[in-house]
Amino acid sequence: MVEFVLTYRPLFDLICVYTILAFSQYAALRAGLFSLATPGFASIGGYAGAIVLKETHLGPILGALAAALCGVAAGLFLSLPLARLRGAFQSIATIGFVQIMVSLTLYAQPITGGALGFNAIPKVATTGPLVLVVIAIAALLAVINRSGIGRAFDAIRQDYTVARSLGISVSRYFRYAFALSGAIGALGGCLLAYNTYSIQPDVFGFPMLVSVIAAVILGGRSMVAGPIVGTVFLIVLPELIRPLADERLLLQGLLLIVVIIYLPQGIVDSLVHRWKLRRASTVARAEQGERAHGVPLP
Amino acid sequence: MASLCLESVSKRFGGIEAVAGLSLAVEPGRFTGLIGPNGAGKTTVVNLISGLMTPSGGRIRLGERDLTGEAPHQIARLGVSRTFQTVRLLREASVLDNIVVGSHRHERSSLFANSIGLPVIWRERRSFRDSARALLARFELTELAEVPAGGLSYGHQRLVEIMRALAMKPDFLLLDEPVAGMNEVEARRLGVLLRSLVKEGIGMLLIEHNMRFVMEFCETIYVVDSGRLIAEGSADAVSRDATVIRAYLGG
Repeated sequence: MVEFVLTYRPLFDLICVYTILAFSQYAALRAGLFSLATPGFASIGGYAGAIVLKETHLGPILGALAAALCGVAAGLFLSLPLARLRGAFQSIATIGFVQIMVSLTLYAQPITGGALGFNAIPKVATTGPLVLVVIAIAALLAVINRSGIGRAFDAIRQDYTVARSLGISVSRYFRYAFALSGAIGALGGCLLAYNTYSIQPDVFGFPMLVSVIAAVILGGRSMVAGPIVGTVFLIVLPELIRPLADERLLLQGLLLIVVIIYLPQGIVDSLVHRWKLRRASTVARAEQGERAHGVPLP
Repeated sequence: MASLCLESVSKRFGGIEAVAGLSLAVEPGRFTGLIGPNGAGKTTVVNLISGLMTPSGGRIRLGERDLTGEAPHQIARLGVSRTFQTVRLLREASVLDNIVVGSHRHERSSLFANSIGLPVIWRERRSFRDSARALLARFELTELAEVPAGGLSYGHQRLVEIMRALAMKPDFLLLDEPVAGMNEVEARRLGVLLRSLVKEGIGMLLIEHNMRFVMEFCETIYVVDSGRLIAEGSADAVSRDATVIRAYLGG
């Protein structure tokens, strides 16, 4: 068992980091916000955290906090023009933001190390802290889901017009979702830097964008467990089928197509939904049975 | 209490005048109907009142307050609720959760309290769920509380939408064809329920195709044709009006 854990520890760390990044993507989609800005936030958080850790004496916890705050600032900044846009326009604009961040970190060589990357970052985010952060964010998101914010998100996601007709200010909640997604994404990027010794601009590029969106679509968009399951699937599956590990992207693509066709709401949401429907119909049938036998309903 | 008034409101789409100089009043505690043939501009009127469209001319008032040009969510927060012609629900969420969404106007806790789960938000959530259950009981649909809304019949989905609008505890409720797709019995039951809500003081504006339903329940009826008001008055007066008979009832 110990050997098993030791062998797969890097993989487990990777799952934790990517789960956090998937949570950032999830926070946006949950609100009906079609933002794909997560890798951009992660880039800001990664470099901010790495710089604080290496250039100051503030330590990793304050470094991670600083990274998350930078993420909030970036999210709020993005929301200024984007909270008024809808759907595909938000996606395109946020992809632009990701590209800009890749270029900026590439050109700002004196600060970021450019294409060679920011190296020799102490490995402070070990498995323990990573798991703690994943649990903390999952708990936070679960609270938000059940709160008034979650209800507003639900309404917006289902229909902007309905949300507004119920008194919900769509742009206010989009701003909030941008800030939340920014904070989580930046924290994820920071922990990536704290876990892998080194970061380069293209780590936070298009492949990351595809992985996080794939994780959320695969796992499910409404429940907190969705992004976790999605990330585990995407990372573990290629390892299980070793010969296919080199074809990771191909496998991811196929998996996505299959899931979108057969479980369009993602693995977790589809299964829970099916279970609820079955339970509801069993209850209804039981009640009908009681009525037929003349037994009064409770 | 204040009434909801339209003062010679008009709305043009390009060259087409969907609503032309329409004046009407929805009074609290009164069941008001708005009828007219297809394309008469009825839904446009609801969209104008709820702020989804801005009038090209005229004014919309809630008491002394001018609503013209206000954002839709502001108008809703002032207590004007509406339903839609096509049902729009969160299909995978339970009926109860769908209704609770309508309570947003009465939320007092801050974004911060909601983000970290302070006790106040759970108290709020409980009271919203209790109100939603009370609505379900009133509509005699208690057994549907936990069923995903997407699995309901069309008629029941319409009722859930109405309950969601009522969860706002609105002063005014605008219903866009609420009985479409219901049979006579279901429609009558809904009518009786709506009438009891009106008795409690809600100002109800009903937009409907179903003549019998409107004639039975509405106390004041406005008849529009091509965006113009062609008659107003009680069901009796309107159904005897020659212009109305020509435009709508046919013959």
